[in-house]
Amino acid sequence: MVELEQNLNQAALTQLARREHYTFFGLTLPYLVLVGAMIIIPIGWLFFLSFVGRDGSFSFENYERMINSKAYLRIFITTFKISILTTFFCALFGYPLAYFMSQISRKWANICMIGVLIPFWTSLLVRTYAWLVLLQKKGLVNSVAVDLGLLSEPIKFVHNTSGTLIGMVHIMLPFLILPLYANMRAIDPHCVKAASSLGATPTRAFWTVFFPLSIPGLLAGLLIVFVLCLGFYVTPAVLGGGKVIMAAMKISSNIELYFSWGAASALGVVLLVVTMLILLIASKLVSFDQFGQRS
Amino acid sequence: MKSIFMFKTAVIAAASFGLASFSTASLAEDTLRIVSWGGAYQKGQSVGIFQPAAQAMGITVKEDTYGGISDVKLMVKSGADKFDIFSSGAGGCASGGAEGILEKLDYSVIDVSNHLPGMYSDYCAGADIFSVVAAWNTETYGDNGPRSWADFFDVEKFPGTRAMRAKVDSQLEAALLADGVAKEDIYKVLDSEEGIDRALDKIRSIKPHIAVWWTSGAQHAQLMKDGEVDMTTGWNGRFDVAKLDGAKVSYDWKTGIMDWEGYGIPKGVKNKDLAMKYIAEMMKPEYMAEFAKYITYGPTNKLVYELNLMEDSRARQMPSHPDNAKHQMTLRTDWYAKWRTIAAEKYTEMMTE
Amino acid sequence: MNDSSLNISIEDVTKSYGDFHALKEVSLEVTSGEFLTLLGPSGSGKTTLLMVLAGFTSPDYGSVKFGEKEVVFEPPHLRGIGMVFQNYALFPHMNVAENVGYPQKLRGVSKEETRISVENALSTVKLDELGHRRIDELSGGQKQRVALARAIVFKPKILLMDEPLSALDKKLREEMQIELRQLHDSLSMTTVYVTHDQKEALTMSDRIAVINDGQLMQLGTPNEIYRRPNNAFIADFIGESTLLPAKVKNGIATVGAAKFKGTQRLKKDGDFMLVVRPEKLFIANRRARDANYFEGVVKDSIFQGESQLMVIKLDPQNYGDRSLRIRLPNGSTNLGELPGVDEKIVLGLKIVDSYFVEATNGGA
Repeated sequence: MVELEQNLNQAALTQLARREHYTFFGLTLPYLVLVGAMIIIPIGWLFFLSFVGRDGSFSFENYERMINSKAYLRIFITTFKISILTTFFCALFGYPLAYFMSQISRKWANICMIGVLIPFWTSLLVRTYAWLVLLQKKGLVNSVAVDLGLLSEPIKFVHNTSGTLIGMVHIMLPFLILPLYANMRAIDPHCVKAASSLGATPTRAFWTVFFPLSIPGLLAGLLIVFVLCLGFYVTPAVLGGGKVIMAAMKISSNIELYFSWGAASALGVVLLVVTMLILLIASKLVSFDQFGQRS
Repeated sequence: MKSIFMFKTAVIAAASFGLASFSTASLAEDTLRIVSWGGAYQKGQSVGIFQPAAQAMGITVKEDTYGGISDVKLMVKSGADKFDIFSSGAGGCASGGAEGILEKLDYSVIDVSNHLPGMYSDYCAGADIFSVVAAWNTETYGDNGPRSWADFFDVEKFPGTRAMRAKVDSQLEAALLADGVAKEDIYKVLDSEEGIDRALDKIRSIKPHIAVWWTSGAQHAQLMKDGEVDMTTGWNGRFDVAKLDGAKVSYDWKTGIMDWEGYGIPKGVKNKDLAMKYIAEMMKPEYMAEFAKYITYGPTNKLVYELNLMEDSRARQMPSHPDNAKHQMTLRTDWYAKWRTIAAEKYTEMMTE
Repeated sequence: MNDSSLNISIEDVTKSYGDFHALKEVSLEVTSGEFLTLLGPSGSGKTTLLMVLAGFTSPDYGSVKFGEKEVVFEPPHLRGIGMVFQNYALFPHMNVAENVGYPQKLRGVSKEETRISVENALSTVKLDELGHRRIDELSGGQKQRVALARAIVFKPKILLMDEPLSALDKKLREEMQIELRQLHDSLSMTTVYVTHDQKEALTMSDRIAVINDGQLMQLGTPNEIYRRPNNAFIADFIGESTLLPAKVKNGIATVGAAKFKGTQRLKKDGDFMLVVRPEKLFIANRRARDANYFEGVVKDSIFQGESQLMVIKLDPQNYGDRSLRIRLPNGSTNLGELPGVDEKIVLGLKIVDSYFVEATNGGA
């Protein structure tokens, strides 16, 4: 027999609780729709297109091409090399700056922050060309240095990897600093004080307490910079002088060359897959979760 | 081609966004929309050809810029209706025609009887002629710059930095000319992978001296102006404009590789008949003569010369002037239709080595 | 002096922030093994003084000695102190055992020794078996204990605590007060404790240093501070006192209209304050010679569980608009017999409990 006896109001209360769950689920719906519309569908479409040949039929030609020409492998290597180097230099310059900003008063930090953000107000193209004007063979830096006798011959700053890196680091730096600074501000300054009261030298206190606590912000910044770098087009095109060919540039030229989305999509798919693999490996090496929680 | 855009099809989305400024809804039947490359080139077209021709026909012509033949493809494939006529290099039109995205031009409407030989095709009515040349910095070499492609590739006789195009177009021809191939035989040699590799090897031999791979006409003009490189391949008109601007640049017609630009119609445009008539109007010699005042790209209609529509001194600056044309070779779009993708991939491979 | 603790000598310590004088020539001697509390309202300078001891704040001038050694130039990490912060300042990226073992790791103590000392420290604060816990899995009280264990694990000779219990709820706070005191007694390290809670200070301390306006107002045992405050500020700050203005002439004090006898000899003429503690007042049914008396009317009578609190409005003709509070412990009186609201009442204050302070704060 089914037990008919019910506790007082139990059924109604259970229903109430369930309704509350639905309400919460409902709140996530706009986001789910957005993710579906903005991420899953386009990526699915990209994936699909990459298997469409020039004649419109199903084909692996877009992937075969990448295996047959050595250019693609080199372009991917360049893309990851430039992205990794840019990310590295952003961390190298950005971390001390963010640390400095987190240690001064909020008023001065805000002034510094404006300095960091001003480049955001200028178009990327303008900033990139500004570097070209400054750094080319007869540009401002070389002319002044040669005139002052600091250099006997102009240095080749641009139209190569170093020019690309200078431009990209400059553009990417705020993306590293913003999350990192927010993270550093949230670190309880008493923790560092506690460390030194317990006997840690300032260096030791920094490495054992402050740095580990800043890792979530650092990782967020590195991730943003790295992923944004992978898709860079304008800066390497202008400052790389054709010596630095990144995936986005090849994607664009493939559309022109093959008149086919597939030729470009396949590059996008490979870039996406390799990036995900790298992030997967990185997340295995560094446990993101370890730093995820705060007291 | 004569992309005045820094980054051409870079962001196709951005380009199509620009095109969206055409209002499709309110177009009257006597209105045409034409797109070209922007900058000094389109300015010359606008003042010299587009608007006077429209006026003569009593129609309205709206102008915009675009990113090249891939934009035409995007428009046709997506069923959008953004422009009726585009200005394009012969090669671009040829590949567009092969893709089946262009209307075949009706040469019973468009009169090309006075065109120079080969300066029109099924999908492209030739409008002006330009040349790829080897330009040098007169501050570095004075008057004794590379007057042949052999000189351009001779880094011992002409030490200094070079720039070449980041795309394959007309670079392989230059390399083979430098390698001693006669200009009549260039496309015979290039008609095989070995021939293409031979040209690429020639470029490889001077690769350490290539400081920049340029992507736009504006860029190679600027490179010469700034003295960033000592010599470069590039379009004659750009160098002439830069020279007027004070750039220390010179070139010799013996390095010229002639190519031409014309007008095409995307498949399925509503105003096809009017577009055809408009192109016919633009083929008239007086427009071409007017256009040539703004930039040194010569007319395809030989009547311009025969009727003396240009001053002699100006006419002598044109790539297509008989005295200049006789030194040059002519680029063949059919070779590009056949070999472009293979050559382009090999070229990129060479660049990334 | 024993070897598990050190005395602290503070001399002329002065610190200004612009125009604000946080500490004005404070001199203070903390004896070895003592539990000394720095008590004062917020902004009084007590925390600044603690930070000077810890080395996080450098004084403008003055001397701080631990034992015989001048430490005022030493950075915090060389001072060898244990410190507990207001918000615990535990390291969120380490678990409990790692937090507690941190000072040992810095000192190069072997793993095994560290493990033992961590276990001992955790057991001292009654947190055995919690070593593997993450910090964010702990309650406020547990966090407090971890912070304490971390501060004592390396057996420092001096322990500094900055309002360590302020974030805890009342019941837990009172338990911890007793526990902390017991802990101090068993470890016998010199402890300097900062609080703004006078009750906490009275409960825990060997001696209390009352700080106000960057100055040391009074230093004494809780009993002294409570019974013999130096000035009106302390009298008001410590306990639930009411201050009644008094005039003194030729050694005789007048409160309201009546002459009052005090427990101390008043050598000076001028304005004084009579310190009246609610628990020292009694309801006088008849007048005796060993006490002073007030007349008034009951305004309010509140049952507070362990005691009955009555608010008495004093006779306005003699005292102006002033009230006194009297606290009667539950059980000491038959509550039913107390006068009701608006009834007249006479309050008595024994002469031994009648204590005067100078009306101005500076006259301590």
